[in-house]
Amino acid sequence: MKGMLQGLGVTLKAMTAPKVTTSYPDVPFVMPDRFRGIQHFIPDLCIVCNQCARICPTDCITLTGKPNPDPEKKGKVIDTFDINFEICILCDLCTEVCPTEAIVMSNHFELAAFSRDDLFKDAQWLTDNNTLTRQDNNNIGAPAKGGGK
Amino acid sequence: MQPWLNQALTWSNALVLFLWVVVFLFIVLGFVTYAIYFERKVIGWMQLRIGPNRVGPLGLLQTVADIFKLLIKEDTIPRKADRVLFIIAPALAYIPAFSVLAVIPYTQKLYFADLNVGLLYYVALSGISTLAIVLGGWASNNKYALLGGMRSAAQMISYEVPLVISVVGVILLSGSLNLRDIVAAQDGGWFWDWNFLPQIIGFVVFIIAAVSELNRTPFDLPEAESELVAGYHVEYSGFRFAFFMLSEYVYVYAIAALTTVLFLGGWHAPAPFLDFVPGIVWFLLKFAFIVFFLFWIRATMPRIRVDQLMGLGWKVLLPVSLLNVFLTALYLELFIKN
Amino acid sequence: MIRTEELLLNVGPQHPSTHGVFRIIVKLDGEVITEATPVMGYLHRGTEKIAENLNFTQIIPYTDRMDYVSAMTNNYVLVHAVETMMGLEIPERAEYLRLIVMELQRVASHLVWWGTYLLDIGAMSPFLYAFRDREMIIDLFNELCGARLTYNYMRVGGVKWDAPPGWLDKVRDFIPYMENKLIEYDKLVSGNEIFLARIKGVGQYDADTAIDYGLSGANLRCTGVDFDIRKAEPYSLYHLFEFDVPLGQIGDCYDRYRIRLEEIRQSLRILKQALAQFPSGGDTMGKVPRVIRPPAGEVYVRIESPRGEIGCHIVSKGKAEPYRLKFRRPSFVNLQILPKLLVGETMTNLITILGGIDIVVGEVDC
Repeated sequence: MKGMLQGLGVTLKAMTAPKVTTSYPDVPFVMPDRFRGIQHFIPDLCIVCNQCARICPTDCITLTGKPNPDPEKKGKVIDTFDINFEICILCDLCTEVCPTEAIVMSNHFELAAFSRDDLFKDAQWLTDNNTLTRQDNNNIGAPAKGGGK
Repeated sequence: MQPWLNQALTWSNALVLFLWVVVFLFIVLGFVTYAIYFERKVIGWMQLRIGPNRVGPLGLLQTVADIFKLLIKEDTIPRKADRVLFIIAPALAYIPAFSVLAVIPYTQKLYFADLNVGLLYYVALSGISTLAIVLGGWASNNKYALLGGMRSAAQMISYEVPLVISVVGVILLSGSLNLRDIVAAQDGGWFWDWNFLPQIIGFVVFIIAAVSELNRTPFDLPEAESELVAGYHVEYSGFRFAFFMLSEYVYVYAIAALTTVLFLGGWHAPAPFLDFVPGIVWFLLKFAFIVFFLFWIRATMPRIRVDQLMGLGWKVLLPVSLLNVFLTALYLELFIKN
Repeated sequence: MIRTEELLLNVGPQHPSTHGVFRIIVKLDGEVITEATPVMGYLHRGTEKIAENLNFTQIIPYTDRMDYVSAMTNNYVLVHAVETMMGLEIPERAEYLRLIVMELQRVASHLVWWGTYLLDIGAMSPFLYAFRDREMIIDLFNELCGARLTYNYMRVGGVKWDAPPGWLDKVRDFIPYMENKLIEYDKLVSGNEIFLARIKGVGQYDADTAIDYGLSGANLRCTGVDFDIRKAEPYSLYHLFEFDVPLGQIGDCYDRYRIRLEEIRQSLRILKQALAQFPSGGDTMGKVPRVIRPPAGEVYVRIESPRGEIGCHIVSKGKAEPYRLKFRRPSFVNLQILPKLLVGETMTNLITILGGIDIVVGEVDC
């Protein structure tokens, strides 16, 4: 009987205790800087090194490059860059290996969509996803010298 | 109410009575709507949440929206179910739940039927709801529902007995089965004249048995969510499911009112100097406290096991309630009669 | 004569108390179980097979998804196996960070267990109380590595992130908070007579049975067998810290319950010591070759996850991908005793026993 009364006391006290829930859709959920959300892509920085596509554990990144339109410069520039968010697990490995930080994580995490097609994000969408990007990109796995930085 | 009931049943009288019932039905529906809201709020607060707050101001229309959803839902009957019984069961659960409310007196003046066997009527009718649960469980042709129905039958039978015997003490003290007379007998001016102190054993047994009759935590075995998914109403949806829910909450109303009448002095004020407050306010306060208590228990307690439930019913509550009858009779014989 | 027959009841894969998509086929005689057959595999994703085509860094996010309630320990067992194989030196700071997150994870995992177990038994509130406190840990992890559930925090040779400024102080503040909450938990649940009646003496087995079935973790220690890999074969930095291994006596659900709550206390004790000794400087990443190629050979390492002994067996042919990767998942092994325990119990006890074993279906099916 004593144990039950103690339990009743705890719940009664909780009635007036401050509530811990947040009013999420009304008030945006603020994530810390390191949060791994939907990627932001910066085409100008990309050197088409293909590292992100290779490290991706789920093979959700596809990219193609084309020769640099400026004949003065060597190398390639990015042509298409798509991430399939049906299978992306937001593991952060692509941003970790990117030598130029052309792909970085943002704090956006709302991926719910009515159609699977909406989850296929192309370079334009990812470039426009340019708010709340991560400041501190600790690319520990990236090669020391990757070029274009 | 009373004058019409005592007159011969003419068409006009029947119409008046019918209208009264409709009015009362809406009062009960309003209670159920806000009891569910209140329950969700209270449990939410106890769980450090806010509870419903999206539909309407403060979420007041949440239950209305829920019920509306249930009403427009597709009405499904499993193909292998026993159609007739499946359809009858929800109605059978609701009719006695609503009928028992007839005998509850709210104040000196406000009551519906002044039945001289009011308590007996209540107990007898509320037993029928068990039948509905067993029928619903059986007719669904679902194993979980069947298990829930079986548990319900066992539980109701085991707890009906101590429930009735625990109030025998009250009947002995007041010398009547009429609920109005029982309240009148508790009129001593102070709260210690109410039955819950002189009949403390009976009161405790009654509360435990009543919670069990209501199928509420910690005795919610017939619908034990974590074991039987939803128990007896696992196959019910839409309107029929709403009826089961409705009868459950109408029984909450009935038991809270009955507890107030039997043990908490009905409409009497707790002290003579508080008499200026109308009786209905006292009744509602006590009533709300009982309802709150039921919700409070639900937020705290784990569920009891079937065999422990049976053990508690037959080995503890029954002997204790019998002892209570014996003690009350002894007290009356030794101190009051002479 | 009344004709009676057994009732064949499918519990799961969609059932509120099977913790995911786990299924048991039980034969009921009334409410008493005469036979129980667990069916697994509804969440099988072939992690081990997928891993054969991935390099070791890529496998780390997959381990997060095995035991998703305790992803940090899974991360650790994989990187620990690779590091053992390659004989890598781990910087002290990285090792401390790993240990801190693993112990926080143990607390978080046991909190999830505590909440869901009480939910199984029918009490609603403890679930939300536990999740309130787990949320604190999740927030700490979110700040540290940017994810709330699938952390992908450890790397072969170290950890991905150093602690952000002020993070260690937050962990330090969390410890007394959690200690207070444990007292509240005891008040709310541990003394409740209904709860005690539900779990005392239920699902009992002795030490020999437990060892025969290969149980580990709280499921083994509840019988009184003193085996905690953190003590028996210290890995990481556990040899530096003082902590007790809580033991049970009779091996019932109550002992398991008590042990898990006590393990939260011991984890907090370890955390306190680890924070006091935390090195002020140093790297978080050791010297690791660019491409991780463990030498040809085999290795098996095991660590103490919140659920028991989680092991990782790597067969390497000297390539960047493992030739074969095998995880010994404690939930899977612990679950094997279930059919034996269930015979003769009631339907209600099925839930109590299954909950007491503490399975995570992602790990059972892997």
